[in-house]
Amino acid sequence: MLKRMLILALGLFSFMAFAQSARQSTLVVGVDLGDLITLDPQVSYEFSGSLITDNLYETLVRFEGNDLSEVQPSLASTWSVETQADGSHKIVFNLRDASFSSGNPVTAADVVYSFDRAIGIAGPSSFLITDVAKMTVGSTVAVDDQTVELNIPADANPNIVLNLLTFNIGGIVDSKVVMEHEVDGDFGSTWLRENSAGSGPYVLERWDAGAQVILTANENASRVGPIKRVILRNMQESSAQQAALESGEIDVAYNFTPEAFNAAKSNPDYTALQTDSFQMTYLGMNSGEGKAFADNRIRQAVRYAVDQDGIINDLLGGLGRKMQTIIPFGLFASDDTLYYERDVEKAKSLLAEAGADGLSVEFLVSTGSCGGGIPCADLGAKIQSDLAEVGINANIRQLPQSELLDIYRAQGAELVVVGWSPDYPDPDGNATPLGDYNAKSLAWRNDWNNPEASELAAAAALEADSAKRGDLYGQLTKLVAEEGPFAILYQPSVPIVTRAYVQDFIRNAQGNVDFDKVSKTE
Amino acid sequence: MLAYLFRRLGYLIFVIWGVSFAAFFIAQIVPGDPIAAALGSNARDAQIEAYRIKTGLDKPVWVQYGRYLSRLSQGDLGNSLRTRRPIASDLRDFFPATLELTLAALLFAILFGIPTGLLAALFKDTLIDVGVRSLALIGGATPIYWLAILMISIFHTKLGWLPGPGRLDAFLIPPPELTNIMTIDTLLARDFEAFVDSLRHLVLPAIVLGAFSTALLARMVRNTMIEVLAQDYIRTARAKGISERWVILKHALRNGALPILTVLGNLLGSLLTGAVLTETIFSWPGIGSYATSSALSLDFPAVMGVTLVAGLTYAGINLLVDILYAFFDPRISYA
Amino acid sequence: MNELQKRNLRRFVKNPGSMLGSILALIMILLALFAPLISGDPLAQNLSERLQAPSSSHFLGTDQLGRDVFSRVLQGARISLRLGLIVVSLSLLVGSVIGLAAGLLGGFWDDFLMRITDIFLAFPALILAMAISAALGPNLNNVMIAVAAVSWPSYARLLRAQVLAIKHVEFVDAARALGATQGRLAFRHLLPNSITPLMVQASFDIGSAILTAAGLSFIGFGAQPPIPEWGAMVSETRNFINEAPWASSSPAIAILLTVLAFNLLGDGIRDVLDPRSSQR
Repeated sequence: MLKRMLILALGLFSFMAFAQSARQSTLVVGVDLGDLITLDPQVSYEFSGSLITDNLYETLVRFEGNDLSEVQPSLASTWSVETQADGSHKIVFNLRDASFSSGNPVTAADVVYSFDRAIGIAGPSSFLITDVAKMTVGSTVAVDDQTVELNIPADANPNIVLNLLTFNIGGIVDSKVVMEHEVDGDFGSTWLRENSAGSGPYVLERWDAGAQVILTANENASRVGPIKRVILRNMQESSAQQAALESGEIDVAYNFTPEAFNAAKSNPDYTALQTDSFQMTYLGMNSGEGKAFADNRIRQAVRYAVDQDGIINDLLGGLGRKMQTIIPFGLFASDDTLYYERDVEKAKSLLAEAGADGLSVEFLVSTGSCGGGIPCADLGAKIQSDLAEVGINANIRQLPQSELLDIYRAQGAELVVVGWSPDYPDPDGNATPLGDYNAKSLAWRNDWNNPEASELAAAAALEADSAKRGDLYGQLTKLVAEEGPFAILYQPSVPIVTRAYVQDFIRNAQGNVDFDKVSKTE
Repeated sequence: MLAYLFRRLGYLIFVIWGVSFAAFFIAQIVPGDPIAAALGSNARDAQIEAYRIKTGLDKPVWVQYGRYLSRLSQGDLGNSLRTRRPIASDLRDFFPATLELTLAALLFAILFGIPTGLLAALFKDTLIDVGVRSLALIGGATPIYWLAILMISIFHTKLGWLPGPGRLDAFLIPPPELTNIMTIDTLLARDFEAFVDSLRHLVLPAIVLGAFSTALLARMVRNTMIEVLAQDYIRTARAKGISERWVILKHALRNGALPILTVLGNLLGSLLTGAVLTETIFSWPGIGSYATSSALSLDFPAVMGVTLVAGLTYAGINLLVDILYAFFDPRISYA
Repeated sequence: MNELQKRNLRRFVKNPGSMLGSILALIMILLALFAPLISGDPLAQNLSERLQAPSSSHFLGTDQLGRDVFSRVLQGARISLRLGLIVVSLSLLVGSVIGLAAGLLGGFWDDFLMRITDIFLAFPALILAMAISAALGPNLNNVMIAVAAVSWPSYARLLRAQVLAIKHVEFVDAARALGATQGRLAFRHLLPNSITPLMVQASFDIGSAILTAAGLSFIGFGAQPPIPEWGAMVSETRNFINEAPWASSSPAIAILLTVLAFNLLGDGIRDVLDPRSSQR
C-alpha cells in the first residue's frame, strides 16, 4: 500500500516537474494579431507577420540584436560587393552549412528560388526587390551549391540592397518542399500562408485564425535556445493584456497604455522595456496649388502651433521622442536639431501675414491607434485644440485607417495625422518618400514638389562616401523641416512589459525579436 | 401542412436572394477603394491595378453581380480582399467559435431567464417579482460592451476568479482542430484539464452576451405564465385538488411553451448581433470579430459573406420555429 | 378630456414603472435642452488633469485628455436623444408608408412589400447597420440612416396588421360605402386607430436606436471624435477601466438610464392602452 502511494506520489511529482519545465520553456506573448494575413515570408508585410516569419526563416544577412548599423552573417557566412566597369554591382554570397526543418540542406538553388519567388508573387512588399533593389528574374544566379551571385544595376545602392535583404521578404524558403505545394502557379503561397518551410529557429505548429499562433523549436536549426515553444496570443484590448500579464497567463505584453506602462516600471514583478522604433507620427499638410497649405507660412504656423511636449509628456506618458526632421534617431545621418519651438503668437502672426485668419480645414484621423499605442482620436483631439488656439479650425473626420489611406494616397487629404516607418533601416527609406515628389510617396501625397529636395534625396541615395552622404542628408532634413509639408510630431517608443523572470527579450527598432535568445528564470 | 412548408421554403429562398442582393449593392456604395485598402500604404500603383484585375473589380457592376450570383449558386462566396483566402473557408474557421459562444449564452439565458420568470409569476407583486422585473429592465438597457469591460475588470482583473479574453489558457496545449468548438475538441482529445479550462473561458463572455436575452426571456416567461395561470383550466385543476407544483409544471408550462419558443427563435438573432460587440472585446475568434475587422478594412466581399451566413442562419431558425409552432399547436391550421 | 382619457391618465400615473420612466425621460430631455447652460466646454482639454477622480470641480472626473466627463455626458444627451428621435421618425415614416401600402393594396403588392420587409428583418441588425455605416462613411448622420434602415420593418409589419384588423370593421365599410377614396381612408380612419401601438413601438425604439447607435460608435462606425457621443466615449476610455472607471462608466450609465426611461415609458403606455395586459 505504502509502496503504491509512493509510486503515485512520485508519478505526480514528476508530472508536476514536467509541467514546470514545460512552463519554463514556453513563452507566451500577448499581442494584437489583428493585422496578421499570411505567414508566407515573401508575402507578409505586416507587423505581426514579420515578427513571426523572422523566427521561421533565415535571411542571407541579418542584424544582431539592437545594432542596426551593420549587417551581420546569417545564412551567408561571407559576401563581397564588386562594382563592374559599367557601374552595375555584383554581390557574391558564400553560404554556410545549414538545413531546413525538413532536413533538406540550404543550397544556392533555394536562394534563387526564394528571390525569384518574391518577384513572381508580386506581394505587397515586392517593390523592395523590384523597385528599390531593381532585381529581376535572372538577377540571382547559383554559381555552385554554396555560392550565389546577385547582379544589380548601377542605380541601386548595394548597401541598401544588403539592408533590405534582412527583411522577411529575403527569407530563404525550402524550394523542394514549397514546389511540392504549388497550385496553379501560386508559388505555394496558399500552402505557405499557414505552414512553414524554413531554416529559422522555429517551425509553425499551428495558427488558429483570430486566436493564436504557436511556434515550436525547429530540430534541424542552427540557432537553438531555451524557449522550445512560443505562443502568440491575439489580445486586442490593452486592458486584457494588462490583466493577463498580472495573472501570469502571458509572459510578455505588447500593448500597454502609457499609464499602465509607467505603473509597470515600479512593479518588481515586471520589466518595462521602452523599445525603439523607426516610426514617426506626423501631420501631413496638402501643399498643392490652391490648397489650404500652399503657403509655407501656414505650414510654419502649424509647426509653431503644435504642442509637441504636451503630446509626448502627457498623452504618451513619455513614450516618444521629440523630433522635427524626417530622419529618425537610430538611423545614419539622423538629425536631432529642433528647428522650431512652440510659439502661439508667432503662429498667429504667420497666419495673419499669409492672410489665413479663420482658416478652416478638414482633418483626417484614423479610427485606429497611432504611434505609441494611443488612439488616433485622442491625438487628433489634442492637435485640434492646439490649432484652435492659433485660430485654425480643424474639423475632424474620423475614418477607418484603410479608407483614410485611400484618400491620402490620392492627394485627397487636407490635413492628416498618420504614422510612417521606413521600409529599410537606411536614411534613404525616409528621405526619398518624404523628400522626393517623383517617388510618388509622402511628398507626392501632400502635393509638395520641391526640385531641390528631390535632387538631394536622389544624390544622397547613391553617394558612397559617408561624410558626403551625411552632409547631403543634413541639407535635406533642414530644408524639409522648414519648408516641407509635414509637422513631425514624435518618434514613438514601443512599450513592452514582461514578467521579471523573462530575460533577454530584445525588440530591435525594426520590430524583430529573436525568440531563441529569450529565456525564463524562476 | 406540406403546402405550407413549401411556401415557407419558397419565401426563404426569396429572402436569401434579397439578402445577397442587398449585401452586394451596399458594397457598391463604398467611397474608398477596397483594393488600395487591402494592399496597404506603401503599395505601388501598378500593383494596385494588377490586384484589381485579379479580383475582377475592374469589371462593370452588372458583370460583377452576374459572377457573384453564379459563384454564389455554387456555394462560393468569393475571396476576402484582406485575408486573401476564400471567404467560405474563413467563415468555416470563425463560425464554430460564434456558435459555441451563442449557444452558451442561450443556455445561460434559458437556465436563468425561465426560472426567474416563473418565480416572478408565482410570487406576483411581491418583492421577488419587483426584484426580477427591475433586474430584467436594467438588463435590457445595459450597453453590452460596457458590461463586458466591467465584468472583465471585476471578475478577472480585480478578483481573479475567472479567465479573461481568449478560449484556452496559453500554457495548455490546444486540442487538434476537429470541430473548431473548443469545448468539444478538448473532449474529443480526452484532455479533461483543457476541457474545464475552456468552459471557464466561456463563462464571462456567455454571461455578457446572454444578459440581454436573459432579461427579455424572464419578462416574457413572467407575463406568459401570469396569463396562463389565470386561465380556466388551471383554476379547474387547482379546484380538483392537484398539488400546486404539479399544476404549474404540467399545465401552465406546456401551454406557455409556444410563445416562449418564438421568443427563443428571435433571441438567437439578437445574440448574433450581440456577438459582434462581445467577440471584439473578448478576443473571441468568431464571425462577429471577423465582420468588424473586415468592415474596418473595407473588405466588403467578406462583410457580404458574414451577412449572408448570418441572414441564412436567422431565416433558417425562424423557419424551424414556425414549423415547430405549427406542429405543436393543434389550434393553428395552415391551409 | 372624456371619461376614458381620464381613466387612462389615472392608470398611467398610478403605475410606478411608467411614472419612473416619465420622470427619467423628462429629466434626460431637460438636461439635454439645458446642457449648454449647465455644462462646461465638453471639448476643453487639460492634459495636466488627465483621468482625475470625481471631485467638486469635476462631478464625474476627467477623461484621458483631461476633459470634464460631466460636461461631455450632458452634451452627449443632446446627441443621443436627437438621434433617437430622428431615427424613430425616419423609420416611422418609411415603415408606415410601406405598411399602409401593403395593407391597403393587398394581393401582389402586399406579398411583395412584406417579403422586402422580411429581407430586412433577416439581417442581424448590427451587422447590417455596420455594413451600411462603413459603406456610407462613419459619421452621425450616416449612423442614423443605418439604424433607421434596420428599425423600419417593425413599423411596416405593425401598420399592415392594424390595417388588416381595421379594414373590415364597420365604420370603414361605411366610409367606403359613402365613396371615400383609398387615400382618404388611410389617413382619416386607419392612421388614428393605429396611433396607440405605434406610440408603444416608438418609445421602445428610441431606446434601442440609442443603444444600437452607441454600439456602432463603440466599434468605430459612428460619431467622430471629439464629439461626445456616449458610445464613442465608452470606447475611447475603455482601456482606463481599471484606473479611471468613472470615465467609461458615466456615459455607459447615461445610456442605460435613457434606454431604461423609454422602455418604462413604452411599458406604461401599453399597460394603459391595452387593459388586457395591464393585469400583468
